[in-house]
Parts: sequence; structure tokens; C-alpha cells
Amino acid sequence: MTTLLEEQVQAKVDLPLLANIHQAVELDEYYVMGHRTCAGCGPALSYRLACKAAGPNSIFLGPTGCMYVANTSYLCVPWAVPWMHTQITDAGAVVSGISAAYEARIRKGKYKGTFPNIYVFAGDGGSSDIGIQAASAMMYRDHDAIFICYDNECYSNTGIQTSAQTPYGAWTTFTPPGPKIPEAKKLFPKDFARGMIALHPAMQYAAAASISYPVDYMNKVRKAANIHGAALVHVHAICPKGWGLRANQVLLCGKLAVETGTFHLFEYENGEYTYQYQPKAFKPVTEYLKIQDRFAHLKPEHHQKIQEFINQGLKRCGIKIPVEAV
Amino acid sequence: MANEDVKVGRQAEEDKGALGDSRPGTIKFLTGLGAAAHALRMADIDVASSYPIRPYTGVMMMLSMMAARGELDLEFVHGEGEHGQLGIAHGASSAGARAMTGSSGVGVVYAMEVYSPISGGRCPVQMVIADRTLDPPGDFGSEHTDALSTRDQGWMLGWAHTPQEVFDNTLMYYRIGEDPRVYLPQMNCQDGYFISHIPQRVVVPTQEEVNSFLPPLEFPDALDPLNPLGHGPQIFPGQGHVLEATRVNAMMGTFPVIDEVVNDFNKRFGTSYDPFVEQYKCSDAEYVIFISGGHAFTGKFAVDHMREKGMKIGLVRTRWVRPWPTDYLADILSKFKAIGVVETNNSFGAARQCGILTLEVATTLYQCDNKPVLTAFMAGLGGEVIRLDEFYYMGDVLKDAAAKGSTERTAYWIGFHNV
Amino acid sequence: MKTRFKKYTVEIPEEMAIPFAGIVESPKPNGEQPMMLTGGWRIYRPVIDSEKCVMCKSCVLACPDATVLLVDGGNKIGFNLDYCKGCGLCTWVCPVNAIDRVPELDFEDGVPFQDALFLLPHVEALYAD
Repeated sequence: MTTLLEEQVQAKVDLPLLANIHQAVELDEYYVMGHRTCAGCGPALSYRLACKAAGPNSIFLGPTGCMYVANTSYLCVPWAVPWMHTQITDAGAVVSGISAAYEARIRKGKYKGTFPNIYVFAGDGGSSDIGIQAASAMMYRDHDAIFICYDNECYSNTGIQTSAQTPYGAWTTFTPPGPKIPEAKKLFPKDFARGMIALHPAMQYAAAASISYPVDYMNKVRKAANIHGAALVHVHAICPKGWGLRANQVLLCGKLAVETGTFHLFEYENGEYTYQYQPKAFKPVTEYLKIQDRFAHLKPEHHQKIQEFINQGLKRCGIKIPVEAV
Repeated sequence: MANEDVKVGRQAEEDKGALGDSRPGTIKFLTGLGAAAHALRMADIDVASSYPIRPYTGVMMMLSMMAARGELDLEFVHGEGEHGQLGIAHGASSAGARAMTGSSGVGVVYAMEVYSPISGGRCPVQMVIADRTLDPPGDFGSEHTDALSTRDQGWMLGWAHTPQEVFDNTLMYYRIGEDPRVYLPQMNCQDGYFISHIPQRVVVPTQEEVNSFLPPLEFPDALDPLNPLGHGPQIFPGQGHVLEATRVNAMMGTFPVIDEVVNDFNKRFGTSYDPFVEQYKCSDAEYVIFISGGHAFTGKFAVDHMREKGMKIGLVRTRWVRPWPTDYLADILSKFKAIGVVETNNSFGAARQCGILTLEVATTLYQCDNKPVLTAFMAGLGGEVIRLDEFYYMGDVLKDAAAKGSTERTAYWIGFHNV
Repeated sequence: MKTRFKKYTVEIPEEMAIPFAGIVESPKPNGEQPMMLTGGWRIYRPVIDSEKCVMCKSCVLACPDATVLLVDGGNKIGFNLDYCKGCGLCTWVCPVNAIDRVPELDFEDGVPFQDALFLLPHVEALYAD
């Protein structure tokens, strides 16, 4: 007699897309309560939604970062699916190895189940900074696996240090503002997802999502899982502690990031981009900046510089929606 | 002139049947890397991860050719660097596949971060290493410092001294590393060029014989959605030393397993390997050369010559550096008057400015009642050949040391003092 | 020559034993990880007004800790207060303001008045020694 789990795992079918929030709520939890992430943690929410969308036939990899350290303290794990720690540097390599192992073992008759969906859940540092080499190699080799980058725009676990995705003007403990450097961080961040798409022209699916739009995000995870080959999901996961927000402002902040055009929700499929958020006009970025303490030191000219960067980004991506004047 | 002698030496040993003429099986003419590739093919590996660096690359070239021809059903993954190579092997092994990778020189140390997670995860990955000198400058020659730098990372570590031994070690290492009492990764080392690139006769057994010696890998806690487990969570503050102790126990618990596996190998394949240490003409020797790796081949021939001149010299070759066969070596080495450790490695600023092996040998002898005179021969650095006349010089130093009970220097730099 | 192998292994007392390679069991789906109770972090407790609630279930998906639950046969919203950290995202996301944030001090069993949340029976068993 097979158990329910075995039935679910062995009947490998494409994960159906969710029509509404009620279908999403129905799904089982595979990232369960009982972990040491901060109250209102955006990455934890993104992890929970990804696991919920992924279902039981999944393996999750956790490179070092918040979602390793805060989730697994004291020899326990909150995942109901197999999970493995990797170094922050080599998540893309380890997932490649697991994918190759299943390819070989199934082909040689050494494993009886079906091919699992294998997910990397890497932070912005583990994907766009120190982990970019392995991440790129995994996408280049087109392993059947899903790379999820939870982007909280800093190294939060080590105490809020700047990463390659930390935006211009943000306070971190490595970019404090002062009379000599009034804008704190002087560099503009990497555009990770679009950079990866450009670097790997054979990639079949990539998407950018936000925890403030949960059903959209879960569907993007499912689409990525259904692809045979490498897929990328970049999810904007707000860090209340690192960004200077109240815990209950996390979803508001994620929403404002999208509504100001700071973070674009998109899908890349068959070589084409589609943008999910199409308002009549984007809000001015000041609305997004003013709720976050990490931007509290910025002066109007810095706000202006950020707005110009956002306008340039919209233009570069071919989004022809105007931005409201302040 | 000296090279001519080495050639004669190899021929002499072949004639004696030391390369296994008496063993049943097909005779192939293989380099060390070719021998490793054929053994890996017969071990039916599932995943190999590659990245090119001289001199180990040949093993990957052969494996990719075997995969292309359909001789081996293999996932051949092109790593993005040695760090990635080790990551791929780590993932593959965690998912229950028999995985291998390999490297040389700076590549070995570039992957340094990943060695401990693999041994701590108890993944029985095998790594084929053909030694190469670390930079600077770009030097292709064989020097053991690359693999020896990883000796504290929880990997089993040993050197072969002929292509035949490489072939046999590949199979033995997998069986030891995958034993349920062990579950540890293994570094299967050979000297770059001297072993990796010089073809010799290798006896290759049948696939059935290999299958009966090496059963398929059964990794108990492989990543599997049917059996969800968490690999490598953070621990309680009081658990770090316990976890380390379990890894120490795995490593120190390999001794009886090595003993058992090597003896089983000898019985099945008609070989005569000592599980830990090869002793060459040691029964009545007063002083010995202690060595690891391919230069033992020349060393043995030099010992023959010196014996002909009436010198009471022998050669001791350790087959393992990790685990270090402490008691075994203490029993063997403590009965001599003088020991010269041939270091094909360097440890800048080490005690007495010797290399890494002398430190281990000295620690081994410290508790013994009889403490032989101990000196280091820094030879073969930068991948230089250790010539016969250099071995003769070492023999003279040791003879003198045995007579006087002391040496002039703590470490002799071969190529400097002897000219 | 037959060498005996001296014991270099470390004897690990039974009470200090650790699983092979630190590999641990996963919790069950829809379950909990009782090694990491977080209800004691809470300053504000979510309280739902079921009269106002329109069962849009936005709060269920908004909780980073999966502590907002469907109860009463799926007809009502409830909270697992052993784990709820009191972040207030459920309150923020509610379109009809049905979830209130009440200070823990206002409850007789509020967090400040409990000796320790570890007195919950299944956790007590874990820390029995």
C-alpha cells in the first residue's frame, strides 16, 4: 500500500496555476510555524509561500544567510520537505549536483520515484554577490532546478551590511551616512534577474515577484517548477529590521516598491517580457522612501537622483507609463 | 644520464613482475590518470564534475570520452571552477549518487571552503588529484603541498606510486569511504606527470570481479522527497564539539576498515598491498628513507643500488596521510637508527623548517622508547625530479647520522647542499 | 608484524549523542516545529471580530509564520498563539479592519504573566531533563 505522500510524489504532474487566493490558502504548509525569523519577516513569508506553491515533491537548498541561520537554529528545521544547507558561495553548484544525481539515478534505475523539483532559496548576497558564479553556471548548464533569489537588499543576518542589491542612498552598517558621505550608499544596485536573463539567452523562464502580491508570486514559482530546465524567480522580500520599518509595514512597503516602479513585477517567457503591474501612472519614489528609516538621512537632491534612476530603468525596460510629479 | 637510470629502474621492476604480471586480468598500458578513469568506469560512477587544470585534466578527458561512447552512463557536469566542482559533487553525493571530481595545484586550494562541509555531511565523494606546485610562479611540476594543505578538512588522503596502484586505490577508496562505519570523502592522490602522465602496464580485472568487490552505494540519509530530512541545520551551542567528535570517530574508525578492505582486495585480485605502509628492504635496515608518493619508485631503485654497496638502508612508504597510521608507523620506525623524510611539500616556517610529513613522523615517534635521528630532505620541490644521485646523497647523510647519532641540519635542501 | 590499533576514538556519552552528520527529521506538513516556540515574543495579540470578517483569507497568506489558521470547519479565522510573533501583518492586510491588535498586558494569560511558554506540555517533554 502506498502512502499519500508516495502517491503525490510518484504522480509527477505539472503544478496547476492558482486562480485566486482561496485556492492558494487550500494548499498544505511545507514551511511550518516554529522558526526564529524576526516578526514580520519578508523573506520568511516568501519562503512559506514558495514551499506552499511547491508541494511535497520538492527539495529545498538553503545557502547561508538569514533563511539558513534564523530557520535552523538548535538542530531543528521548519521544512516538511527535504532541505539541505549549502555554503553561501555554491548553492548553484550543489543544486546542479543534486539535479545531475537524480538524472543519473533515475536513468540507471537506482531511484524509483519521479524527478523532484529542486529549489535554491538564496539571499541577494548568495545570488547576486558572492554566489553569482555558481548561480550563473547552474542556469548556463540548464539543470532542471529553480533558483529563487529572496531579495531583502542587504546582508541582514550578519547585521545589515551592504550587498550588490542594496539601493543607492540606503543606510547599512557598512554604509553609514556622515558629513563626508551624506547619501550613505553611493553605488547603484545590480539588476539581478534581467542580468541573468541577458547572460543566459537559452533560459526558458524567469520572473520577478513580490511578497505583497502572493498569488502572483506563487504562480510564478509553479511556472518555474513546471519548466524542464533552469528557471529563476527573483522575489522582493522586505526586511523590517534592515530597512527601518515597523513589522506591520512590510507588505505596505512591498506594495509601494511596485507602485513607484522601484521594483518591477515581470515574467520572461519565450524570449519576451511581460509586466504584470500596469497602472495609469507610477507614484513618486518619495512615497516609498519616506516610510523607511534607512533613507531618513536623504535630502531632496538624493530623492531626485533616485527618481531619475527609476525613470531611466522604466525607459530601459520599455515601460511607457508616466511617473506622477511630486 | 640520471634519467637513463630511472628508465632502467622501471624496466627492472617490470621484469620482476612487481607491476602485477602474475595477476589475472587484461593488461593495458595506462597513465595514472588513465588508470583512474578506467577504475572509475568500472566503479559505475553516476556524476563527475570537471574543470580543466594541468595535470589532472586527463582523467576528465577520458571520462567524457567514455560517456560520449556510451561505455559509462554518466552525468558529466562542467563545473564553473574547482569550488563549483566540489559543490556539484557535494550535492550529487547528498542525493545518493556515486560522485567524483578532481583537481590539481591551485585548483585544489581554490575549493578549500567546500572540503569541510562535504566531510561533515559525511558524503563519500572521491577526488582524483594529480599534484601540482602552488603559485607563484606558474609551475606545472608535481609537489604535494596542494593536497596536503587540505589535510585538516576531514578527508581521507593517500598517495599511489604506480598507475596500477592508482587503479587499485580508486576501487579500494570507494569501498572504504562508502562503508557504513566510515562515510567519508577520499582524496586519491598521484604525483603530477611522474605518475599521471607516464604510461605503465596496468592489470584491469573483469567487471564482474569489480562488482563483487564494490557494491552499489547505499547512502542512508540521501535527499529524497519520500523521506524528508534536514541536512546541516545550525546546532545548539553545546553540540559543536560532539559533531566534531563524531567526525573524528569516523576517521579514526577507518583503521580496521582499511585493514579489512585491503586484505579483501589482495585476496580477490592476487595483490600484496600492505594496508597502511609499504616497507622495502627494511627487515635488517639500520636507516630508512621515509616517503609518500611517486618518488618512492626511484627511491626503491636507489635503495637496491646502495644495498649493493653494502649500505643497510631501506625505504618506508606510507600509503595514507589521513588517517595517519600512528601505531603502525611507531612500531615500524622506532626500530631504526636514523630516518630521513623525503618531503615533496613545503610548510613555510614550520618547526625546524621541515615539511609537513616530518611533523607527523616526529609526533609519531615522540612516545617511543627508541627515538631515531630524524631529518627532512626537502626534495622534488617545484616538481623537480629527485635523481638517483640525490637519493644516494640522502643515503650517505643517513648512514652518517646513524653512526654519529645526529645530523648537521634539521632539513637538507636537496639541490643546494649536495652540489 | 601485527599492529593493534589503539583507540583514538572519542567516547560520546549517550545523553550527548547527535544524529548522523547532524541530519534531523523534518516536521510534518501543516505541522509545527516545537523546538522553536515564538509566542513569547508577542507584544500585541491579534483578535478577530468574526462578525466583521468577510473570509477573504488575505490574512492567512500574509502571515510569515503560518499561524493564521482556518478553524471551525474552515468557516472562521483563528490564530496559533504558541507561535504568533504579533507582527501585525494580518491586521494591516485585512480589508475590513476585522483584526484588532490588543496589548498582551490586557490579557490575564498575556505573555508578561506567563512563567514561560516552555511550560506547554509537548515542549516540557522535550526539555524534561
